[in-house]
Amino acid sequence: MNLRKYLKVYKKFLYTSLASELEYKTNILIDLITAILSLIGSIFLLSIFFQNNGYIGGWKFEQALIVQGIYTILNGITNTWFNPNLTEIVKHIREGTLDFVLLKPIDSQFFISLKKINPSGFLEIMLGFFLLFFCIKINQINLSLSFLSLSFITISCSICILYSIWFFISTTTIWFVKTWNAIEVLRSFLYIGRFPLNSFSFSLRVFFSIFIPIAFITTIPSEVFLGLSQLWKILLEVIVASVFLITSRKFWLFALKFYSSASS
Amino acid sequence: MIFNLFNRKIFTLLKVQYSNMLEYRVEIALWAISGIIPFFMLNIWTNNNLNESINISDVMLSRYFLCAFFVRQFSVVWVVFSFEEDSLMGKVSPYLIQPLNPFFRYFAQHLAEQITRFPFALIIAFFFFIFNPESIWIPNLGILLLSIVSTFLSFLIQFLIQSIVACLCFWTEKASSIERMLFIPTLFLSGLLAPVVSFPEYVKSWIYLTPFPYLIDFPANLLSGNETNISRGLSMQIIWIFLLFPLFKKIWIEGTKKYTAMGS
Amino acid sequence: MVQNIIDVRNLSKSFDISSKEPGLKGTIKHFFKRQTKSLKVIKDISFEIKEGEIVGFLGANGAGKTTILKMLCGLIYPSEGSILVSGYLPFRRKENFLKNITLIMGQKQQLIWDLPPIESFYLNASIYDLDKFEAKKRIKKLSEMLEIDEELFIPVRKLSLGQRMKSELLAALMHEPNILFLDEPTLGLDINAQRNLRKFLQKYNNETNATICLTSHYMKDITSLCKRVICVHEGAISYDGKLDLLLKKLSPVKEILIVCRSEEDAIKLENSGFTVKNKIKNEITLKIENNSITSSLKTILNNFDIEDLFINEPPIDEVIGKVLIKKDYDI
Repeated sequence: MNLRKYLKVYKKFLYTSLASELEYKTNILIDLITAILSLIGSIFLLSIFFQNNGYIGGWKFEQALIVQGIYTILNGITNTWFNPNLTEIVKHIREGTLDFVLLKPIDSQFFISLKKINPSGFLEIMLGFFLLFFCIKINQINLSLSFLSLSFITISCSICILYSIWFFISTTTIWFVKTWNAIEVLRSFLYIGRFPLNSFSFSLRVFFSIFIPIAFITTIPSEVFLGLSQLWKILLEVIVASVFLITSRKFWLFALKFYSSASS
Repeated sequence: MIFNLFNRKIFTLLKVQYSNMLEYRVEIALWAISGIIPFFMLNIWTNNNLNESINISDVMLSRYFLCAFFVRQFSVVWVVFSFEEDSLMGKVSPYLIQPLNPFFRYFAQHLAEQITRFPFALIIAFFFFIFNPESIWIPNLGILLLSIVSTFLSFLIQFLIQSIVACLCFWTEKASSIERMLFIPTLFLSGLLAPVVSFPEYVKSWIYLTPFPYLIDFPANLLSGNETNISRGLSMQIIWIFLLFPLFKKIWIEGTKKYTAMGS
Repeated sequence: MVQNIIDVRNLSKSFDISSKEPGLKGTIKHFFKRQTKSLKVIKDISFEIKEGEIVGFLGANGAGKTTILKMLCGLIYPSEGSILVSGYLPFRRKENFLKNITLIMGQKQQLIWDLPPIESFYLNASIYDLDKFEAKKRIKKLSEMLEIDEELFIPVRKLSLGQRMKSELLAALMHEPNILFLDEPTLGLDINAQRNLRKFLQKYNNETNATICLTSHYMKDITSLCKRVICVHEGAISYDGKLDLLLKKLSPVKEILIVCRSEEDAIKLENSGFTVKNKIKNEITLKIENNSITSSLKTILNNFDIEDLFINEPPIDEVIGKVLIKKDYDI
């Protein structure tokens, strides 16, 4: 009954935000071109890296493309859901309309992180999937059931981790209204996710496994594609993802408590 | 006389914007951090010995990427975003009444931020040298001056391009998506992620005719002491400025005409 | 017997305010050791509101009106004391409580900017569990009351402020709340739009018996809607009661402008024992207490040669303006 209500509300969210975005049609077209150019650019850069001896960090070009594909999907998801909603929450806080959200008989985290959608990110997601299918073909990966389910699990976990990081930053807007710069820092770090983590030096690898869990976001799913991943890594990713999700929820509730005791 | 007046205006604007920028130290520090992508790229290059194929030593390559970081820090432009926000908030009309092209205001804003950013960039460079002590070098004064000039010219080119895009705000509501599209070739072709020498021949044959390599690759090569064609670089930068400036003036005049005709 | 729908007992609210010395040194000090000061913005207030009442909250900027309103709808935790709104503790924000109330803030909008208001209404309908049929019915009823029609199908960004406010009201009232909290609802509206809004609120109150709490800077909003006002001064209630009683208390005298036929008469009148406010040639302004006004006028008309006479009610704005700066009214 409750789930049905949330589904119904989400359908409305989808409809209203698609309708608002369609008010700016040229914008969508430009964003689509941007997504395509961006993928071409990344592959171009990757090809430069492989000019030397055909390996970086022990990965072949065809294998590194898998990382690229997963990154593109995740980036598409970020652009479709996380980024527009962050823009929205900043607006809510700056204009003081968060009050309206809090007074709605619906979960505020649900409302705030899913209200908006940017359709031009869809293409990026599709491009990422095409690239992945292409990689499955050139790497001759067997589409077994266990492979499909493991890759599904790991990619979902990546999405959860990524969502939690974004939502965490969105939440901090309650204290610091300007979070654009923090977002820029995050984006520049996430940029690393385009490349196999092994191609970096040891210290950076440690940094990107612990502080910003890029290792979990793109590397483990790619390893699943190559059949390299150990079970414990996948289990660890599931645990990390749940910890991130729970923390983001707790942090939001904490922030709301602060908001309602300090705002005026 | 007129020139004098002009100077005084710019000077006052600079002073105001600088004190304004000092208020946002944290954000500017974050901005500086978000520019560290070149260092990640350097890490990939040296960790995989990719520089073997382009005959640049590790030390020279690390100097190159450090300089790329510096050039980027002092040539980054965001006038489209400021202008779009201002026009959405209805601030453009009062600017149009003032006897000064509003782009001078943004110009001063950018310069002021560059000054504020300088110490943060130095701190990052300091840490860079701690980790890579062998790459410390002192460029001679002439080269330093020349590279400051070429960095400023690179900033001017980017400022002009973005101002032209910003003027499109008069026609479309969201010019920033056009800027995001233009940013993609800037990112991949300017030398921020890989020096232009490493590009494949089929790209190198035409890229020197575009403005991109003169945005980061040329000033960074100049400053780091890597091989580059100084006279060609500087003259191409100046040519591009001379091509872009009349275009900006034209589109500005057309845009304001359209704006005042609409009466909104 | 009419029930208390809002019951506030000994309510206080303090905010922690951290103070920082200017400069880098101050920033560093601030980072390690935060000096916080507790600022009491609401001081031990109590009041009740009955179902169907329209109550106006009066006070200067920063007096605490908005804080009280936000505590009543559950956006701010109270520091001390208790609040009960239609049987709920507001700050728990229980679903059934939220379905019972609404908050309208002037110039803050919840409608989706790029779409016609009708889309936002249907979104709200799904959030408040209304089915499509019911939603349609309510939109129709409310849009008739608000006198809006084709505006519902025009993107919000193209509507005028007045039209937008009406649509905001419709969005806020679709779930038929029992209690309306309005914070400066008429801010920025022109006089006609203000009047229409007031007319609507009155009508809505008559038809649904909803309780309305509102704050406003426009005295007209208060005087034409509220029989009861609560004046807030520096976080405390300085007056709670009937509006006309307050007005009487605040303006016990009337000003009467008398135009005499000759200047001599005016001089005579000036020296006849009345309180004189000013005198210009043969025009003289007297201050007369409300309760002696008829007898005084009789005396004047009988004894002096009067050409013309005006009774000036002190402008209501000015009177209530006094509320904003005054601390106590012993009533």
